[in-house]
Amino acid sequence: MSFVALSVAGAFGAVFRYVITGWIQSRHRSGYPVGTFVVNITGSLGLGLVLGFDSFESVGALAAIGFFGGFTTFSTWMIESLGMGLPSLRAVLNLAVSLFGGVLAALAGFMLMS
Amino acid sequence: MRHPVLSSRRLRSVAAVAGGGLVGSAARTAVGLMIPAMEGGFPASVIVVNLLGSFLLGLFLARWERATGGATSLRFWAIGVLGSFTTFSAFSTDIVELLAADRVLAGVGYVGVSLLGGLALARVGRRIGVVVR
Repeated sequence: MSFVALSVAGAFGAVFRYVITGWIQSRHRSGYPVGTFVVNITGSLGLGLVLGFDSFESVGALAAIGFFGGFTTFSTWMIESLGMGLPSLRAVLNLAVSLFGGVLAALAGFMLMS
Repeated sequence: MRHPVLSSRRLRSVAAVAGGGLVGSAARTAVGLMIPAMEGGFPASVIVVNLLGSFLLGLFLARWERATGGATSLRFWAIGVLGSFTTFSAFSTDIVELLAADRVLAGVGYVGVSLLGGLALARVGRRIGVVVR
């Protein structure tokens, strides 16, 4: 049951990621993968909020955990950073900003709920 | 309406991502069930999915570029399956939980293994995809 809830919610997360990154990337020209950054940061905030909220057992909490799991992505972040040419400043910046932004967003989520 | 929001083409691309996302999320959940958290709650299963997924995405993209694969296979495999198999939100919340538990060394190790391993494996995957026929 929880396996199905997590997986189906992850599929919804993937679709939201696809639509949001596509929308963002079509509207700016910086060359930075801002779309992936935005989903990863908002998803970290979202999962922080869910995990900071104490009742884990509900289907709603499971669905939210599954959603943010599928909504955020690590592999695309790695590939996009690699594509920016390591060890260039741009690539290191893309890694560092997402890493620290993600940790701060997750921390904010935990703190808002505790 | 020349550009309807819900054209059949758009529905097809969303369906490819959704199908891939279902497979990738189910696979990540399965890995999570198979690999329990290590002693002290070190998030081993997240490391496994993120490193394996980075390797496979590098491999897939190199093959896909060479074969000039279609948009549907890119949406299903790269954005859907491998995008969802790996996860960033668990990575960042794990770091916060390790640091909050005063396990700074474990947190630094987790970040180091994930980032250096993810980049190295994505690169190795790409190389293999370019070289191997």
